[in-house]
Amino acid sequence: MDTTQLVLDTAQRMFSDHCDKALLDRAEQHHYAARLWEVIAENGLPQLATPAGGGTLADAFRLLRVAGRHALPVPLAEALVANHLIGASECGAFDGRISLGIADSHSAEGGEVNVALAGVPWARAVERVCYVIGDPLEIVMLDVSECEITEHVNIAGEARDDVRFLGVPGRCGAPAGIDVTRVFEWMALSRAALMSGALERVLELSLDYAKERKQFGRPIGGFQAIQHNLALLAGQVAASLRATDAAIAALDTPRFPVQVAVAKARVGEAAGVASEIAHQVHGAMGFTHEHQLHHFTRRLLAWRDEFGRENYWQLRIGRQIADGGADALWDFVVA
Amino acid sequence: MVVEGLRFDNIGLPPQAEALRDEVRAFLRSNLPASALPDSDFNHGHDAAFSAALGRRGWIGMTWPRQYGGGERSFFERYVVTEELLAAGAPVSAHWIADRQSGPLLLRYGTEAQRERFLPPITRGESYFSIGMSEPDSGSDLASVRTSARKVDGGYVVNGTKVWTTDAHRNHFIIALVRTDAPGQSRHEGLTQLIIDLHGDGVQVRPIRNIAGDEDFNEVVFTDCFVPADQLVGRAGNGWEQVTSELSYERSGPERFLSAFRVLVEFVRVVGPSPTDHQAAVIGRLTAHLMTLRQMSISVAGMLQAGSSPAVEAALVKALGNDFEKELPEIARLAAPHVADDHRFRATLAQTLLHMPAFTIRGGTREILRGVIARGLGLR
Repeated sequence: MDTTQLVLDTAQRMFSDHCDKALLDRAEQHHYAARLWEVIAENGLPQLATPAGGGTLADAFRLLRVAGRHALPVPLAEALVANHLIGASECGAFDGRISLGIADSHSAEGGEVNVALAGVPWARAVERVCYVIGDPLEIVMLDVSECEITEHVNIAGEARDDVRFLGVPGRCGAPAGIDVTRVFEWMALSRAALMSGALERVLELSLDYAKERKQFGRPIGGFQAIQHNLALLAGQVAASLRATDAAIAALDTPRFPVQVAVAKARVGEAAGVASEIAHQVHGAMGFTHEHQLHHFTRRLLAWRDEFGRENYWQLRIGRQIADGGADALWDFVVA
Repeated sequence: MVVEGLRFDNIGLPPQAEALRDEVRAFLRSNLPASALPDSDFNHGHDAAFSAALGRRGWIGMTWPRQYGGGERSFFERYVVTEELLAAGAPVSAHWIADRQSGPLLLRYGTEAQRERFLPPITRGESYFSIGMSEPDSGSDLASVRTSARKVDGGYVVNGTKVWTTDAHRNHFIIALVRTDAPGQSRHEGLTQLIIDLHGDGVQVRPIRNIAGDEDFNEVVFTDCFVPADQLVGRAGNGWEQVTSELSYERSGPERFLSAFRVLVEFVRVVGPSPTDHQAAVIGRLTAHLMTLRQMSISVAGMLQAGSSPAVEAALVKALGNDFEKELPEIARLAAPHVADDHRFRATLAQTLLHMPAFTIRGGTREILRGVIARGLGLR
């Protein structure tokens, strides 16, 4: 078994042991999952894609798929990407709780910057917010105790806070060869990976329910109408996993911008279809807060909107194809 | 994936296979018949000269052993050739079934004599096969076939009717699923596959016109048709197992999501270099689906290459792919610009719309495929 698989298996066990329905419920009631984060950090997962962590960025996205299966209420995606960037920068490493923002603009005068970041995951619960800006990329570190935080949540109840900062930040310089677009693409892939995992879980829950729930004297999974819906659901899940895998495999290739667009567009579309089917299969039971299904379906609905909705990425692919013309379409597909 | 039986490995085409792509394109530039309207439907275009030219290049029976005229190449190399042919709208229907499933069936279950007799002409693009499964009263319920084969001295006497037999009037042989014995407890017993000469005595082929006005498929009637014993495929009574083993080949290839591809090509042409946001998003959405289906299909090719028979994954590729093939023309139709110079787009669209009902019927209906997937999910 290779090292990556070992890490993923360990993570799977760790998440199962430390992240349950009760924790997810509490995380929505302003109780940050501090203990869960400690366990994750003790095992070095946030540092996976750093020189010290021994893994690659591809490993980080595979880990996020596992995290998606468990709906982890912590900013693991942000920490993985932030630590990867910091690890390749002048700052070297940051070992504490960290989240990530992408700035459209900031004003800098002397050593001071004035910046506003929207929707930073769990800014309220971390020690540092790292933000990136521009081309060439600049990495800036904010001490959260010096920030003004306005709390917001997404449709899944996950913290997405606005951050304002005016002062002298930490500066980490810029790792070569990365611009802000690339970081945005990584974050889009992080959502595709998280959604893939959540989709696997939604399928698993739906299958279990269809096999257990009895009506008319037999499991509802025995009815063709339900079977066909579950077959459709499985198709959406399989397509999502495949598209995400292909984007991860393309990470260090010139094809990455296309593959990430395909993945985010395709998985985002699957998220809506799959959530609808899963709720239909679960009936009224899945509509209750008591059932765990909503922790996954609401995240699917949230994540498909973060870092570019489906049509954002579809448009990007479509414009590129239109530029190349009809007779180059096939080449675009197989390139 | 957490669900057993749904595995799509993360594999791409190896460089050796990719290297073929330019060769195929060069071949197509000099051999593709001038056609007003290329069609990427694999059922389109029965062209013996084209098939023979393809055979001369070694691109039929590519994965088969050399001793039978094959090329001993990988499933990935075959994948590149077939997808390039379909994308270009090449006329591939003559040799398609023989190359895709009759040949592999004979390689797996046929006798040495059958392989030596039937496979080399297939690889030369000279011998064409039809599928003999459906009957007037047996569609999705294949085990209910009634065409009978009675054992006689030296062979079998066949009586009954096969239907929806594509190109039976132009092909040479049909591999017919027949009943040699009464069904047992499972209904799957007593079924047998026979190779029957479509031009022999006791075989009558009647064309059936489809809604597009084509006469591609047929009714094939067997009346006291004698079939020599050496044209029995595999074991008598083993027909069900043999027929289902063909399905992974039949269901997972690029022909299951590329049938409507030319509509997308013409859509990109008709919207031009400055599409509206909506038109660009339509192109992007359909392409994202297409690329994902292709990756899934290549995963199945990889499993075939590794010697496994991924029936559920193949059914899933076909189910998802067929839905895509049917969705594509409808979406493109509504997003197309209203311009005078759209004849090519409209003609391609019309051609596909008229053949589209078949996409989710042939090779296993959408409903049957969903059942296969449900079984793979442990629901049956």
